[in-house]
Amino acid sequence: MEEFINVGKRIPKMDAEEKVTGKAIYIHDLKIPGMLHGKILYSPHPHAKIKSIDTSKAEKLPGVKAVLTGYNIPPIKFGFYKDNTPLKANKVCSLRDEVAAVAATDLDIAEEALDLIKVEYEILPGVFDPEEAMKEGAPLIHEEHVGGKEKKPTNVLNLPWRLIAGDVEEARKNSAFVAEDRFKVTWVTHCCMGTSGCVAQFDLKNNLTVYSITQIPSLEQRDFTEALAAMGLKGKKARVIKTMIGGGFGSKLDTYAFEYIAILLAFKTRKPVKIVFSREEEFFATSPRQPAIIDIAQGCTKEGILTFRDIRMILDNGAYTSWGATTPSVMMMPISSLYKVPNVRYIAKCVYTNNTYSQAMRGYGNPQATFAIDSQMDILAEMAGIDPLDFRLRNANTPGEVTPQNFKIVSCGLRECIDAVAQKLDWRQSRGKRDGRGVGMASLIHVGGGARVYKSDGCGTIIKIDDFGTVNVFTGATDMGQGSDTVIAQIVAEELGVRVEDVVVTHTDTDICPWDVGAHASRTTFVAGNSARGAAKKVKEQLLEIAAKSISESPENLDIRDRTIYSKKDPEKKSPLGKVLRAAHYAAGGSMVMGEYFYDPNNENLDREFKGNLSVTYAYGTHGVEVEVDKETGQVKILRYVAAHDVGKAINPMLLEGQVYGGATQGIGYALTERLILQNGKVMNPNFLDYKMLTAKDVPNFETIVVETNDEFGPFGAKGIGEPGLVPTAPAIANAIYDAVGVRIKDLPITPEKVLGALKEKAK
Amino acid sequence: MKKFDYLKPKSIEEALTLLDQYGEKAKLIAGGTDVIVMVKQKTMAPEVLISLQAIPGLNEINYNGFLSIGPMVTHRMIEKSELIKKDYSALADAVSWLGSIQIRNVATIGGNICTAAPSADTATPLLVLGTQVKIKSLKEERVVPIEEFFKGPGETVLKKGELIKELMIPKPLPNTGSAYYKLQRRLALDLPILGVSALLSLDKNKVTCADMLCTTSPISSILHKMEEDDLVCKEVRIALGVAAPTPMRAVKAETLLRGKKLSDELLEEVAETAAKEAQPRDSIRGEAWYRRDMIKVLVKRMAMKSIERVIQPEETVFPERLW
Repeated sequence: MEEFINVGKRIPKMDAEEKVTGKAIYIHDLKIPGMLHGKILYSPHPHAKIKSIDTSKAEKLPGVKAVLTGYNIPPIKFGFYKDNTPLKANKVCSLRDEVAAVAATDLDIAEEALDLIKVEYEILPGVFDPEEAMKEGAPLIHEEHVGGKEKKPTNVLNLPWRLIAGDVEEARKNSAFVAEDRFKVTWVTHCCMGTSGCVAQFDLKNNLTVYSITQIPSLEQRDFTEALAAMGLKGKKARVIKTMIGGGFGSKLDTYAFEYIAILLAFKTRKPVKIVFSREEEFFATSPRQPAIIDIAQGCTKEGILTFRDIRMILDNGAYTSWGATTPSVMMMPISSLYKVPNVRYIAKCVYTNNTYSQAMRGYGNPQATFAIDSQMDILAEMAGIDPLDFRLRNANTPGEVTPQNFKIVSCGLRECIDAVAQKLDWRQSRGKRDGRGVGMASLIHVGGGARVYKSDGCGTIIKIDDFGTVNVFTGATDMGQGSDTVIAQIVAEELGVRVEDVVVTHTDTDICPWDVGAHASRTTFVAGNSARGAAKKVKEQLLEIAAKSISESPENLDIRDRTIYSKKDPEKKSPLGKVLRAAHYAAGGSMVMGEYFYDPNNENLDREFKGNLSVTYAYGTHGVEVEVDKETGQVKILRYVAAHDVGKAINPMLLEGQVYGGATQGIGYALTERLILQNGKVMNPNFLDYKMLTAKDVPNFETIVVETNDEFGPFGAKGIGEPGLVPTAPAIANAIYDAVGVRIKDLPITPEKVLGALKEKAK
Repeated sequence: MKKFDYLKPKSIEEALTLLDQYGEKAKLIAGGTDVIVMVKQKTMAPEVLISLQAIPGLNEINYNGFLSIGPMVTHRMIEKSELIKKDYSALADAVSWLGSIQIRNVATIGGNICTAAPSADTATPLLVLGTQVKIKSLKEERVVPIEEFFKGPGETVLKKGELIKELMIPKPLPNTGSAYYKLQRRLALDLPILGVSALLSLDKNKVTCADMLCTTSPISSILHKMEEDDLVCKEVRIALGVAAPTPMRAVKAETLLRGKKLSDELLEEVAETAAKEAQPRDSIRGEAWYRRDMIKVLVKRMAMKSIERVIQPEETVFPERLW
């Protein structure tokens, strides 16, 4: 084993002190001279025609600098389907529809101005259930949207998610056991500690700067450039500067109406305009995880070998389309490739409704699909009379496998993860007692080596190094709290033979930092890490070249360790790094040490059949829980929680555990307590009192097991870990509840009411 | 947030004078954990907030034959009071579950009952503990039993110009135990799906099966043992939160138990009766059927917990979940 100085060490996040002492500058803290405050008026009806808008009173309120409506803005379209506009004209389709916006000298005035805007509506019937919305004669959300062969108006989106491998029908006939179930999952939201917000500002040449908390700086820059063109400002530049980000979890993978509104208000007023969401807005006007109705069938042989997996899914798209509508592309991953299953069919429909529209959220569809798959694995195991542990082991993925979706599995520690969890939970002894205590497990596959969802999956890095050996890394990656700056610093420090504290990572400015596709798909450690390592290698080559002269040793015999360049042949021949650099800078005809590298992984876009090696490598993991169920109240208590993850290599075990703790905590919330309650399109619990995100007191003691498979393509062997932590949580808990009291809950969250209701049903 | 003036009187008289002077325009503010939220949510738009923070004496806990709690006493102060933990355990339970430590540091007991939420954590313990509310205005001072204090969601008997001066809680009978359980979806920062308080006074101190209570034996078997001890319930009070428009006493259930020999069957019947007396409703926070079912379960458990506290008074630690 190679011995590392910086990689594999438990190094606290570089921004930890700043954050815990309140010194870090978040978007909420940002003030720019002359800055105005923007506020948005939302529709009070989920589906209505706008008959008239009167903003005259609001405009006259002292302190109000601009009032915009859908009738006086340029035609900006945004979102994955380009079906959304910053302010709505003619019609509103959900309760988060932006109808008007105000910029004023302070927030109170802006709020007061909203109350002065008079809007007349003609209420239209709404549709809030995707199955209802699919029926003939259902209210149409977007009348102009047509689909099907006949090009008839429809609420069903033209996104034919369809993955077919092998022959499911034939396999079903040949299966000894077949399980068929319907699972349901509902909306949950990211609950970022920092609410959404931005500040938009134009310079005198009409170039735009947006202070943002995006996860996709480069793509956001592109979206804003398009918006500038729509505003008649073709050729003007858009610059995105990130402040500290108070959590992402996928919520910031798209651009939103509020950002375009801030831009439009800034353009109108010629002043910087800030829009920051209240917590209530954060709950009802940001995009949650996609709800789904999942019909699933799986079969196996007498021996417990999976024969097929057949899934139909209906997804509530909400009124507009963001990345939520593309989550089926990621659901295909566990559907085709979690455990070995030769025959697969998956068909999903996204349907417009008058509900809120969904977005990416940690796992991107994977948690929904895995809940159904791995809950049903237990159901099927029971039908076949096999211990769920053995059933999983018999079907576990292995290195070198090519899955039905043409994923090429490189490193794979799934078996080790399953075994480790079983051992920790004392599985054989703990299981099958039905005495109110029970154990359950579930596994995951996720992209671990990037994911080619765009034409490029790349990330650029620039490294410069100054007179004193301080290394400046300019990365395309986005640190939104997950700690990528620290991980990148460790990788660069390791490669360059310096210490982590010598490395300064800058990721905040599109004018300074290279291009990157965004912080998604758990790709940052892998892609940005490989990119940073590539740039560091180039810098190192230059350093050794320069040092070769003064040390009088050939470059290939030199190396750097602890800020010193030395000869591997004769360690006495050495020179401090700073000295080498100064010599280079100050010499006549001197040189400057700098390196850049663009890493685009060797993975594939999914083809027309949605097949292809989406990721260079894949992450695996298994979670196991022991629960206790109060049979009288239906309450579920988690007694033990074991999370085993195949991470390739832990660059920073402490941050890695943090990702697992955070993911699993979010996962337990998804499993047991969290849901956005929507009634006729209205979010009934837009606050932390009624949205039951778990607190520190609820979090169990997580036992993390790191399985290192040293992936050949990962930076120092690492694979992604950002999302996996919450993927198998819900099915593991559902399986444990079944083991404890014999009831199977198939819709999330598993509330005490559902458990008690099922227990009563069972007792009948 | 709508702007308001903030006044800080130095005495009760000054506060009452200001209250009288501003009338409808003014609201009293104690810890502010409810009032400021309501102002922000625009459910309340006072022009003047009159703070009770600077009035000396309102934030004291005293004992002079009865327990006296000032309206400005914070939940955290109650939580830290050994006396309350020992003799008025239900109240100690309630404050230890309210909000978070940060909220408990500022939220007051006077504020909690004046907001008069059906879910108010301190309401049901105050009900079972037989609390009297001393109310003062410029003109008079009156004492109202807590049963009569709540009039509806957000409504109390407080009239314009009145404030709470003191909560008075009698010394419990010998061999009394009380307990509160908050049925909630997470362990902090939550409102109860249901709140249940019980207080039981027993006629006997020594129970042979005492050591069984800390075992995992089912309640029925423990009670079965107790039946042999002829354990009589001298006094009982049961109160329910989120089970009706106001926090309520389950009077019929109490009557069934008062003066009777304790038995598993009787407790079962008492809990059933309490569930029948309640009028829980469906809301996003919980369904009526579940609340009613849980009254049956939790009344019994709280009665048991109260008995346990008589028998093992040193065991005041309350588990977060009850199994």
